[in-house]
Amino acid sequence: MIYAQLAVNGLVQGLVVGLGALALTLVFGIARFPNAATGDTMTFGAYTALTVHKASGSLVLGSIAAVGGAAVLALVAYLAVFKRLAGRSVVSLLVASIGIGFMIRAGLGIAFGHQQQVFNVPLSRPIRIAGLAINPLDLQLAVVAAVALAAVFAILYLTPIGRQMRAVADNRDLARVSGIRPERVMTAMWLIAGGVCAIGGMMLGIKTVVAPEVGWDMLLPIFAATILGGIGSPVGAVVAGLVLGVAQEVSTPFVGFTYKIALSFVVLLAVLLVRPRGLFGRIEGVR
Amino acid sequence: MKTTRREFLGSVAAGAALIAAPAIVRAQGADVIRIGALCPITGAGGPYGSGMQKMIIAAAEAVNAAGGAAGRKIEIVAEDTQTNPQAAVLAAKKLIEVNKVQAILGTWSSGVSLAVIPLTNDAGIPLMHCSGAPALSVPPANAKGLGFRFQATNERFGRAFAEICEKEGFKRPATMAFNNASGIGNTEGFAKAWKAKGGEVVESVVYEPNQASYRSELMKVLAANPDVIVTGSYIADTTIILREWFQTGQPVKWIIPGWAANPQLVEALGNEVVEGIISVDSVSNEGSEAFKVYDEAYQKAMGQPGTNNVYAAMTWDMMTLLALAIEAAGTADIPAVVAKLRDVDHADGKKVSTFAEGKEALKAGKINYEGASSSLDLDEYGDVTPDFGAYFIEGGKFNRRYIVKI
Repeated sequence: MIYAQLAVNGLVQGLVVGLGALALTLVFGIARFPNAATGDTMTFGAYTALTVHKASGSLVLGSIAAVGGAAVLALVAYLAVFKRLAGRSVVSLLVASIGIGFMIRAGLGIAFGHQQQVFNVPLSRPIRIAGLAINPLDLQLAVVAAVALAAVFAILYLTPIGRQMRAVADNRDLARVSGIRPERVMTAMWLIAGGVCAIGGMMLGIKTVVAPEVGWDMLLPIFAATILGGIGSPVGAVVAGLVLGVAQEVSTPFVGFTYKIALSFVVLLAVLLVRPRGLFGRIEGVR
Repeated sequence: MKTTRREFLGSVAAGAALIAAPAIVRAQGADVIRIGALCPITGAGGPYGSGMQKMIIAAAEAVNAAGGAAGRKIEIVAEDTQTNPQAAVLAAKKLIEVNKVQAILGTWSSGVSLAVIPLTNDAGIPLMHCSGAPALSVPPANAKGLGFRFQATNERFGRAFAEICEKEGFKRPATMAFNNASGIGNTEGFAKAWKAKGGEVVESVVYEPNQASYRSELMKVLAANPDVIVTGSYIADTTIILREWFQTGQPVKWIIPGWAANPQLVEALGNEVVEGIISVDSVSNEGSEAFKVYDEAYQKAMGQPGTNNVYAAMTWDMMTLLALAIEAAGTADIPAVVAKLRDVDHADGKKVSTFAEGKEALKAGKINYEGASSSLDLDEYGDVTPDFGAYFIEGGKFNRRYIVKI
């Protein structure tokens, strides 16, 4: 029973990591670089949601504003920086993304101050389902995350633009000669990645506190989940986030709380030793 | 991109100006004493850092207004630690190597001070800090005796926690500690003092920073049915832990250090959650003349009463004490100044409360600077022993019920 409870505790944390990893992996799959500004885009989403929530008192409005705001921010970053650097080495793009992350973080620090802020959501007692204590707020957040994930996967797998995105991710040159306009695909991808970040950031903000560094601090587990899931695999990113979150919590009776983070990296190592391409990744030939 | 001749000339001129600039700075800097203010402007120490930095500057201004120390003006070079050891080390390197500061003042969290002190030791300059980690008192960290602590050690905090626990009649305490030198120092200091009183600690958990949830940690602690949980924590993790604890509905009391249980925590969680929490902090030397002077400076700089920030009173004392030692040494030569630090804080000396007063009294003989943060009296380890206040959070207000002396 205690393990089931620990697993439930881990799921919520896993969802936040999974959403971040999904955004990271989308960018990696299509724009082909690790976007280190992912965490800070999450923070931006959290602050947007917080501001709107304070003004309107509605979390729904807050989340809509956060998704919109972060999507626009991601698109602006693409148009202003990443687009101009397209075709440069991965390192230039990575460094540029670190720089954008810095700018977002510093901007938020100036605008909102460095003191922590919180979402004023009413605190509630957990409900008991089959002996498991589940917090109603966690349940709501999980539903929000599930809806967001369903929407992203519907776009990816059920719409023409999603098909084009997957085609570009598969083979950029082939997609191009087939008449797919990379510009449209990129725009759609950055909007989606920004929106996904916003949901993850908002969840993190509601669960914990909002401060300019919260997203940046999440970057390590997000990268771990992306690699574990197989770089470029959206399903893998989400599953890996959940696996890492649950593995961390369930391990605590054995390794204690201090080493649970290290344990998630042991899981990562073990999986990569057995399956170097990650859980859902595919082997890519070098062209 | 093509570069025109005009652009090229422009950039050459700009480059020349850049190269020339440090020379101008050097020329100005010949007769000032440079002191580094390395405070936590951002990060977990953010609520205190700005005030701490402003009080170093304000104390330096007071020194300069009184004609400077040993005839030289003090110039403050400020940097931000971000409450992060890596960032702090970079900033300290810059202060030491580029600005050539004679001392670094105002580091706050123990992790930061432990990271910075090897650099100040190598440079042979003092580090005055507000950190609690016991390791900062002794070698290797304080091998050269250049580390000076203006805050109580975490061990002393732990002892104060144990005193309060006894006074409040708790029987089954459990501990939760943030995994760093300060957090663990608090709870281990508590456990040691508590066991010395014949008590038993029913459960203890050390947790990692930056987690989205601490529910599993709480589950383990609450399973032992404690009547009070003693923490060594910071504000962000305390916010999350208390919120999740409240949601479990299991009644328990909390004893939390003052840097985590502060008005911001009340604002974040609401009055109902924090009701009855005991916040323990070292108390400033509130009755002293020095505190009045500091309070005035703090109000002017921050628009808040000086009691809001015990650390700012400490940094005020750091700058004032250092300037008095420079004045007493008659030189900014660091070994001579360090040798004088305890002399201007000497038990037999004439009591003084400001730099100007001390400068005057030094002409006649020994002085004893009575600080704004505590009476100071640096011991052989460079530590001070302030008193502690037990603040009960009631209806969102911090009511100091009693003072604990250890």
